[in-house]
Amino acid sequence: MRKRRTVVVNRNVFIVIHNNEVFAIDNVFVAAVAFLTSRDTGIGVGMRKTMIAIGLSAVAMATPAYADVQIGVLMPTSGFAAGFGLEEQGSIDLFMKSYADLGPAGKLKLVIYDTRGEPAQAISLTKKLIDSDKVTAIIGPYLSGESEAAFPVANRAATPIVTPSSAKPGIAAANRPWAFRFSSTTDKTDKALIEHWTKKQPKPIKNVVLFYDGKDAVSSSDGKTVMPAALKAANVNVLDAISFQTGDVDFSAQVTRAKALNPDGIVVTALFTEAGHLVSELRKQGMTQPIAAGVELSLDHKFIEIAGKASEGVLTAAEFNRDSPKPTVVQFVKDYEAATHHLPGNSSALMYDTLFLMRHCIMSIGVVGNSEADKAKIRDCWANMNGVEAPIAGAVTINKDGDGVRQPNFLVVRDGKFVVDP
Amino acid sequence: MVFLQQLINGVMLGSTYALVAIGYSLIFGVLRLLHFAHGEVFMVGAFIGLGAVVYLHAGPLVALLCAAVGCAVLGIVIEFVAFRPIRRRNGSLLAPIVSSLGVGLLLQEVATNLFGAEQTRFPPQFEGEMIRLGGLFVTSTQLFILGTSFVLMLAVHLFVSYTKYGMAMRASAESTDVARLLGINVDTVIVLTFAFASALGGIAGVLVGFAFSAISPFMGVSMSVKGVAIMLIGGLGSIYGAMVGGLILGIVEVMTVGYLASSYRDAFSFALLIIMLLVRPQGLFSGASAAKR
Repeated sequence: MRKRRTVVVNRNVFIVIHNNEVFAIDNVFVAAVAFLTSRDTGIGVGMRKTMIAIGLSAVAMATPAYADVQIGVLMPTSGFAAGFGLEEQGSIDLFMKSYADLGPAGKLKLVIYDTRGEPAQAISLTKKLIDSDKVTAIIGPYLSGESEAAFPVANRAATPIVTPSSAKPGIAAANRPWAFRFSSTTDKTDKALIEHWTKKQPKPIKNVVLFYDGKDAVSSSDGKTVMPAALKAANVNVLDAISFQTGDVDFSAQVTRAKALNPDGIVVTALFTEAGHLVSELRKQGMTQPIAAGVELSLDHKFIEIAGKASEGVLTAAEFNRDSPKPTVVQFVKDYEAATHHLPGNSSALMYDTLFLMRHCIMSIGVVGNSEADKAKIRDCWANMNGVEAPIAGAVTINKDGDGVRQPNFLVVRDGKFVVDP
Repeated sequence: MVFLQQLINGVMLGSTYALVAIGYSLIFGVLRLLHFAHGEVFMVGAFIGLGAVVYLHAGPLVALLCAAVGCAVLGIVIEFVAFRPIRRRNGSLLAPIVSSLGVGLLLQEVATNLFGAEQTRFPPQFEGEMIRLGGLFVTSTQLFILGTSFVLMLAVHLFVSYTKYGMAMRASAESTDVARLLGINVDTVIVLTFAFASALGGIAGVLVGFAFSAISPFMGVSMSVKGVAIMLIGGLGSIYGAMVGGLILGIVEVMTVGYLASSYRDAFSFALLIIMLLVRPQGLFSGASAAKR
């Protein structure tokens, strides 16, 4: 159990102190549960704390508003995509430990909401962040489907929104000038991945079977259009494109269908859970062909956990290379592991860098509150970002579509770990 | 050959569906109500089995036993907390459905908080060995599941046909009032039915956990919907209908994916359901209760 303390009550927002960082929670129920489950809230002790809390909140109400900069964060911490959100949460905890202070602008405050991985939730929470919480900018959401839904809302409300992770091409470009993404898009990573993959194989790959998640926004756009284009560019023929749905666990029918075609290689565009089950079934049915997996896999250790031995040799592209010798990365991995007892994943790295750059923008151009001018300053900072040094990704450039531009790392599973494939 | 392999895939998937659907049918047969939390009982069973394997280093059979006992207790608790009070007060017909939905959500949330929302799995040795027959293949785990399913189906058949409690169950399914007049303690029978059906659900949970290595608090949700669909296809309350309906649904799903696309899967499954309701509304096995076969 992490150390968690709940403090009450500013009309409709509850402040939760979690690992000594301050979060605001909007939901009475959640806050109550957080309070009750808090380790150091015994009966008696709890009462005293409540009294202190009410006192504190009175003080909070008395202090002038807008002394701090509030940034909204949208991520899935429950539901099928919770794994990604939890990786991001680890980075948020770590980041706020060292970087919550903004100097003259006061403190950086995060208002975090759980989207459950649902686009509809992402829309209403984006509205809520802008209208009720009056945040200066928003970081998130996580999935491409969510960002596709939430970006137009923020764009209309003239509030900067930056997704750390969504990779489907075109979703920031369609919402200029307020939407950005830190991540690179699949059209760039796929092309590099397929080139690297086909070059490395002992036997030339002339034809492949492509598996894709037909329900997840990024995997489906990747599997239907982006990946086929990348394969075509590399003169690889797609024998069959076989779909499945997010949440599926039985892949026997798909694999039996692919096996009959006897391809030279297999390409997968899916989130880590479904990819894990699929790869496991591929090997189980005796398909030994080389496998390349799109960036949606997100370098997630859960993929290896689910697929087990079957994951050996699977090649993927990721923005984050955990084994990089770069001192800032080494430090990040060490601190993250110490704080969460897990290794950071791609999602952790993307969130950490996005937070870092958001803070960089706030500090470097003197954002002090949530006025229209402040929002415009943040927008311009992201739009003009050119070679700004982020701790993990290194120099970050945002192109005219609002997308991050970077060369991906290629990682392959060896002995149950993702390692760099040179 | 490919078709035959797909047929095997379908039967394997269908046998897990059948196990869940039998539990539904038993409860529907006796109580005439849809127990929407049954999918969550199934999920809890998977977690109990996982706990037994991870913490007690149990083998597969012990894991099944733990899940059966644990879920039987859970089923009894659900009956006492969510159904009996409503029956006592002659609540509306919809009330038990809503309260079972509530129990389902509660179990889901509790499981999410206890075990996390992410999928987890049995240790890899439970995946089993590959067995090849010509160009076809099955895993030993799949055979174990198929075997266990059929043994359980047979056990259910023998239980309701030849034991005193089984006969009481059938009598109560026919008419609770008449059963009461004949001196059967209907309340005991209902508790027994919940225990029995939930134990089956728990076993199904562990078996599905073995088969797909995907245990999560949400694994019961789609099973609930499928269980109800299977019950309608097979005939409301008919145990044999649930067995056959489960296999049919599994095969239809696999064939849709194998020869069309996964996006049509649920469309075809439910088209089958609608056709069934139009052509033979009483279901494949016309028995309106656990009693009739």
